[in-house]
Amino acid sequence: RPGPGGARPLLVAGQLIDFQWKLGVAISADSCKSLKLPCVTVALKVADGSGNITCKTFEMTVPQFQNFYSQFKEMASVLETF
Amino acid sequence: MAGELEGSKSLSGLLSGLAQEAFHGHQGITEELLRSQLYPEVSLEEFRPFLAKMRGILKSIASADMDFNQLEAFLTAQTKKQGGITSDQAAVISKFWKSHKTKIRESLMNQSRWDSGLRGLSWRIDGKSQSRHSAQIHTPVAIMELEIGKSGQNQDQFRLWIKRTALCLKDKQASNLKGKYSLVFNLHNSGAPGWHSR
Repeated sequence: RPGPGGARPLLVAGQLIDFQWKLGVAISADSCKSLKLPCVTVALKVADGSGNITCKTFEMTVPQFQNFYSQFKEMASVLETF
Repeated sequence: MAGELEGSKSLSGLLSGLAQEAFHGHQGITEELLRSQLYPEVSLEEFRPFLAKMRGILKSIASADMDFNQLEAFLTAQTKKQGGITSDQAAVISKFWKSHKTKIRESLMNQSRWDSGLRGLSWRIDGKSQSRHSAQIHTPVAIMELEIGKSGQNQDQFRLWIKRTALCLKDKQASNLKGKYSLVFNLHNSGAPGWHSR
């Protein structure tokens, strides 16, 4: 994964001001009539230094969400120690 | 020769090839490749409808995410049909689905994910800093880097600063979400074939 000096340009940087989520289950698709696919969609609102707000949405599978959630918990518990 | 097609020896290989092409996105698995590798004695004219029949059967099974009861019923019906399959062939198909079901389902699910996904996540906590002019210039803050994008394309990178109060709030929201997710997971887990946990 590239770090701050890595190859990929940093597109959005700022303060997380809101995060919304939605949990859905895709029931059916043209490629697969019986899908039963749970999906977590997250919308992040980020404010940059000038106060411009960007909203980014992305999807996560269930295991990804579990990982995302546990990372959040870990960050929170480390921050608690300060 | 029709006899060749009725045999089940090469059918397993054929189903693998079909699955690679239909579900796993493998390019380059042509009719002619399958025929020459697996049924070299059969003409292309005879092979084509046979291939189409097997492809159709495999797609029906995968699309409906058949459990073993449904599968047996479906395959039995196919053996009774005019121009259907033999019971040997049904056995090969059944065995193939049982061993490849999970991977095929996973590929089908991935095909239905069209929006950007979370490709990477890392974080660090920055503690207090000081400078010559002020004793404390930063309160602790979590910095999270997310890579978001579609597979096979360039990823967007997001670097987020999350202050402590905000993090606690977001943690609670995430916890609410986890509770809701568990409910859905359990509803689907009970008696829902094809839903598997990883």
